[in-house]
Amino acid sequence: MPAPPPIEQSLVVLEDISRFYGEVLGVNRVTLSIPPGITSLVGPNGSGKTTLMNLITGLVRPTRGSISVLGVAPTDPERLFRLLGYSTQFDSFPKGLTGFQFIYSFLRLFGYEHAECERLAWKSIERVNLVEPAKRKVAGYSKGMRQRIKLAQAIAHDPRVLVLDEPLNGLDPLVRAETIALFRELAAEGRHVIVSSHILHEVDMISDQVILMSNGYVVAEGKIQGVRDEISDQPMQVLIRCNRPAALASKVFDEASVVEARLHADGGGLLIKTRDANRFYRLLNHIALNGIEIESVAPVDDNVNSVYEYLIGGEESK
Amino acid sequence: MTPKFPSANFRTWRLQIAAVIRLEMKKTFFAKRGLWVYLLALAPVLLFMGRAIDLMRTSETRQEMASAHPVSSEVLGKIRPSMNEDEPGMTIDDVIKKAGEPYARRAFYAGRGRRGRTQIVSMSYTDQQDDYTFTFVDGELVGVNRREHPNLQQDTLIFATVFQFFYLRLAIFFGCVGIFMNLFRGEMIDKSLHFYLLAPIRREVLLVGKYLAGLAATVVIFTTSTALQLWMLLLPYDASAYLHGAGWHHIFAYLGVTALACLGYGSVFLAAGLLVRNPIIPAATVLLWESANLFLPAALKKISVIFYLQSLCPVVAPPEKDMNPLLALLISSAEATRPAWAITGLVALTLVILVVASMRARKLEINYGTD
Repeated sequence: MPAPPPIEQSLVVLEDISRFYGEVLGVNRVTLSIPPGITSLVGPNGSGKTTLMNLITGLVRPTRGSISVLGVAPTDPERLFRLLGYSTQFDSFPKGLTGFQFIYSFLRLFGYEHAECERLAWKSIERVNLVEPAKRKVAGYSKGMRQRIKLAQAIAHDPRVLVLDEPLNGLDPLVRAETIALFRELAAEGRHVIVSSHILHEVDMISDQVILMSNGYVVAEGKIQGVRDEISDQPMQVLIRCNRPAALASKVFDEASVVEARLHADGGGLLIKTRDANRFYRLLNHIALNGIEIESVAPVDDNVNSVYEYLIGGEESK
Repeated sequence: MTPKFPSANFRTWRLQIAAVIRLEMKKTFFAKRGLWVYLLALAPVLLFMGRAIDLMRTSETRQEMASAHPVSSEVLGKIRPSMNEDEPGMTIDDVIKKAGEPYARRAFYAGRGRRGRTQIVSMSYTDQQDDYTFTFVDGELVGVNRREHPNLQQDTLIFATVFQFFYLRLAIFFGCVGIFMNLFRGEMIDKSLHFYLLAPIRREVLLVGKYLAGLAATVVIFTTSTALQLWMLLLPYDASAYLHGAGWHHIFAYLGVTALACLGYGSVFLAAGLLVRNPIIPAATVLLWESANLFLPAALKKISVIFYLQSLCPVVAPPEKDMNPLLALLISSAEATRPAWAITGLVALTLVILVVASMRARKLEINYGTD
C-alpha cells in the first residue's frame, strides 16, 4: 500500500508572509494553513484579501516568507496552475474572443490537444450555465456573465485548489444560488475553494471556515463558532424560546456568568448575554427540569457578521 | 474525470508556444493601435510606385516622340555650339537639317540689351535613351543640355539609400516599437496579461511564444513591403539583365536583411516592453545609440543592430556630400563586417537580449494599478 502523502501536500500553507508595495503594506506576517473545503477571506477594502490571493497564485511575490500550495511553490507556474485555478477581480479579457474561445485558448496554453480543449471548455461552460452565450463575444457580456465565464475558466482544467476573488459580485439572486451550490459541490469533492467576499451573510452561509483580515493582518481564522468562542471580551448572545420567559429571566440572573437578560419583543423568548456559554447551557438543563418548557436554544452572534463586527468594528464593514 | 496533464517537455512547450502565437497573431496583425505600422511599411512602397508610374508614363511619351521624330544619338552628339568666338555657331536651320524637326520647340524674347530684345529658342530631341535640349540665342546655338533618362543602375542606388536610411532605421525600427513593445506592455495596459500568467506555462516559453508571434507579424508585414518596393523598382525597366546578374542576390539579401532587422529590433523592444513603462524613452534611447554607432569604439559597435544590418546590405549607399550634419549623424554608416559574422553577431545579440528579457519575465508581477 502506498504511503499517504505528507500533510502539507493537502494544505495551502503560508508561513510568515509579508508583502509591501514600496512603503505601503499589502499584508504583514500572515501565517495560515488552509485545509480543503470552502474558506472565505473576509475584510474591508484594502484589508489585503486580493494581495493574499495574488500571493497564493504567484501573481505577486512575497517580500518575505514562503507559500506552498499542496506542496508546490507559486514560483513554479508549470506545476502550480495544473493544481490551481484563479478567478481574479480584474474585469478585463483578451480582445475579440467569444466566451468559448476564451476558455478554449486558455486550455491550449496547458498544452492539451484540440479535442481535449473543446471537451473541457464545454464542460466548464455547462457547469456555469453559459452554453447559449458562449458563442458570443465576451465584450458584449453582462457583468454577471463575465463573472461566470471567469469562473468557468478557473475550473476548466479541473483544479484541486480554486481561488476566487469576489466571485459573487454582479450575479443575480438565482445565479448566485446556483454558483454557491457549485462551490459546495466542488468543496464536497475534496477541493480547496478559497473565496473572498464582503457580503457577510453569504460568507456565513457557504463557508466551512473564515479568515478575517484587517489592514493587512489576519485578525482571526478558523471555523466561525471557534472564532466566536475565542472572543472572550464580548459576551455570547443566546436566544431561548420558552413558555415563561419572565420566570426564566429571574432564574438566570442568579447565575454570575450572565451579564444581561432581555425579553424578546414577541414575548415568547429571552435574549441572554453570558460570559461562559458552556456553564450557562448546564444551568439551562437544570432550569428545564424545574417546570419551564424550553422550545429552542440558539446562539445569535456566532455568525460572521457578529464576529466581524466584534473584531474589526462595524464602521469598517461594508 | 481528471485530465492527464502533459509532462513539461519540449512537446508541451511546442504546443504552448503554438497556443501563444495563435492568441497573439490576431492582436499583432489586426490591432487598431498597430495601424500606423502598416502605414510605415506602405510609405516606401507608395514612393516607389509613384516613381514607377512616372517613369513608365514618361518613357511611353518619349518613345512616341522618338517614333514621330526619329534621330540617332550619334547625330545628336555631333551638334555642339561653336567653341570659337570668331566662328559662327550652328543656326536653327543647320540643326534641323542634321537632326530633323524637334518634338518640342519653344521661343520667347528676353531683356533689352544693347542689341535690343533677345530671342531665345529651345528645341528638344530624344534618341529614346536621353533627352537633348538645344538652346539658341538670336538664332545661334549657344548651349546643349543632355539629360540622362533614369536607369536601373541609378535606381538601385536610390533604393539602397531609401532602404538603409529610411526603411531600416525608421520604418522597421518604429514598426518593431509598435508591435513588440505591445506584446507585454499593451496587455498590462489592457489588464489582460494575468490570463497568461495563470496558465501552467514557463515565463520563458511565454516570452518565446510572444516573440515569435511578433516576429511573424513584422516579418510578414515588412518583407512583403520590401518585395513590393523591389517589384516597383524593377517594373519600369527590362530587368532581365539585372536578374541574370546580381539581381536575385540583391533581392534575397534585402529580404533577408529586412527579416533580420525584425529579429534584432524585435528582441530589443520586447525586452524594453518588459523593463520600461513608457515606449518613447527606450525608442529614443535605442535610436540615439544606433545613430551614434559610427563614433563608438569597435567593441561597442557590435552592441547595436544596425552595425550588423548595414554589413549585410548588398548595395552601399553613401550619404550625400552636402547633407545636413544632424541628418548625416543619423544615417552614419558603420564599418562593415563579413556577412557570416554579421548574421552570427546579430543572432547572438538577439539571444543575449532575449535571455535578459526572460530573466525579467520570471520576476514579472501583476500590479496593474501602477503599470
